[in-house]
Amino acid sequence: MSDRSKLIETGTPFQFDPERDAEFERLVTRYPTRESLILPGLWLIQEQEGWVCAEAMAYLADRIGTFASKIYEAATFYTMYNLHPMGEYHICVCRTLSCYLLGKQQIVDYLKEEIGIAPGEISSNGKFSLEEVECLGHCGTAPVVQLNGEFHEDMDVEKMKALLATCK
Amino acid sequence: MAEMVKLFVNGQEVEVESGKNLIDAVSAVGIEIPHLCYHPALGADGNCRMCLVGIEDGRPPLVPACKTPAAEGMKVQLDAEHIKKIQRDVMELELINHPTDCPICDQAGECSLQDYYMKYDGQESRMTVPQVKKGKKLDFGCGVVHDQERCVVCGRCVRFTREITKTGELGIVNRTDAARVNIFPGQPLNNRYALNVVDLCPVGAMTSTDFRFKQRVWFLSKEKGICHGCSKGCNIFIDHNREKYKDEVIYRFRPRLNEEVNGYFICDEGRMTYKWENDQRLITPRANGSEAIKSAAVDSLRNAISQASKAVFLVSPSSSLEQQFAVKAFAEQAGATVLGFSDGYIKAGDGDDYLIQDDKAANRAGLALLGIDATREAFEAAMAEADLLVSFDNALGCSYDQDGLAKVLGSCTLAVIATNSDSLSEQATIAIPTASYSEYSGSIINCDNILQAFARAVVKNDPPEDIVEIVNRLGGELENNQQVWAALKKAVPTLAEVEPEQIPEQGLALTS
Repeated sequence: MSDRSKLIETGTPFQFDPERDAEFERLVTRYPTRESLILPGLWLIQEQEGWVCAEAMAYLADRIGTFASKIYEAATFYTMYNLHPMGEYHICVCRTLSCYLLGKQQIVDYLKEEIGIAPGEISSNGKFSLEEVECLGHCGTAPVVQLNGEFHEDMDVEKMKALLATCK
Repeated sequence: MAEMVKLFVNGQEVEVESGKNLIDAVSAVGIEIPHLCYHPALGADGNCRMCLVGIEDGRPPLVPACKTPAAEGMKVQLDAEHIKKIQRDVMELELINHPTDCPICDQAGECSLQDYYMKYDGQESRMTVPQVKKGKKLDFGCGVVHDQERCVVCGRCVRFTREITKTGELGIVNRTDAARVNIFPGQPLNNRYALNVVDLCPVGAMTSTDFRFKQRVWFLSKEKGICHGCSKGCNIFIDHNREKYKDEVIYRFRPRLNEEVNGYFICDEGRMTYKWENDQRLITPRANGSEAIKSAAVDSLRNAISQASKAVFLVSPSSSLEQQFAVKAFAEQAGATVLGFSDGYIKAGDGDDYLIQDDKAANRAGLALLGIDATREAFEAAMAEADLLVSFDNALGCSYDQDGLAKVLGSCTLAVIATNSDSLSEQATIAIPTASYSEYSGSIINCDNILQAFARAVVKNDPPEDIVEIVNRLGGELENNQQVWAALKKAVPTLAEVEPEQIPEQGLALTS
């Protein structure tokens, strides 16, 4: 596992936009304790900004009424939260068992050749970023790739090529 | 008395307290179950797996002792091969990425990992892959320095900041072998009990900037004492050492368990008061405003007292009950007025609802019990007529500013018997150094009216005399603490039944 503990501070305060703010308030009523909002709250931040900065974590801690260290723990534990800005097209390739066995490596190797980035990297023009992630829960249709959050199942190099072509 | 149950550890029958977790229950009869994450003040967490034991009653082959309450007839296995193996395996896992820098680690000598390796592991490392590198000497604030590589991720420090101080500065970030303790960026430790994480840490991951690299712990003598930093009277260990050719130096205070007073912890300010035991001590006696030998200073004070037409004896609210009483008895004998004015010891609003008290005096309840008037009015009225003020270690300088002090002293002769050198002792005509609380034995009453006794912890090369001895040399009749107690029991009804040698470890709650 890599060290994800070095957070990026943007120097500007974060706040939910009105839509996420409303969604956050709706979620408050859904859980028995406010601390349950840590994970959905981080999702909202990521939805809004594409990634999660230190200021956003501190903001979320304030909104929930918990310690910033707890947000920090959750955000660094779960690799699905991006702790730095991602490319315009963010590609996640599942690396857990089923996808591994059914050839996720060919897809990763292809992407490395085609766009020149290894997992964890962003292309120099900022267009693409690639991440290997833990199980995405689509083991029945492995290997699975996420493009900006959208699932693409039963992937292979050919299908990946076609998918890349849609990224303009 | 809690209900007792009989259970078997390795086939040996022991009687332990019912319902307590197995670690605490069997440690009471001297059997150790190794553990890293469990701490009685923080409860069971069950993350380290070091306390796994076998219980022969059909439950799963391994159960964490920290989460298993002791019950009648339980058959606990500690020395079975599969238990020894799991202990070895857990140790091996803990040590995979441990830097094993014991020779330069402050914890060496009081480190659970080191002790358990010697006791339960002892294998050569089988690792051939490079170790995971993490942060070293991270400044966590409040004088706490963290080494992420030494950490076993037991989470005691994290739980302490969440459960005890409720400040939550620490967290465990990342996962698997990259997991480490960290502070959120820009939010360092910021509470008045932070240094307790250094004691809580079972390994050398949390160190104190104050103690780092000062002493190897096996050179330290660890005496029991009571913190005099405020009126709580927290129980402490006084860790001191006399290095070759040098004098005794106290290197640190550590908390000592007393369920009735402070529990497992002490505050940081109290912990740092050890410095006053070493530094800025009043060393040189003075008589007639210039340096003198001690006997000359004592003679000079004796004369001054006998010649004074009106003397005021000012006792300290931090002195022991014995000292306060000895001064009071001497005042009655010498026709002096005994007072305890010490408003400057009280820092209004500084206390909290945990351990820290507003009153920075250790034994103000003693003054009240002995009927020594501590009001400003009484002191200033007495000073208006007095021609001699003798301060028995009362830091009067903190109750007045410079001008106020000059005004209240007027033309009065000032004599001080003091532990530390301060502006008051510097302007005194007569000054006599005296022992501080680590250097005498005595008893004090805390803010909750609990009487606690403490023994002499440190003997300096040239031990300064205790106030009781000095008062005796000045002409007081009581020679030592035994004689003081005999008189105390007669004079103070609350203490009539108290045997000073039999004051329990936990202290004696006075009822009056």
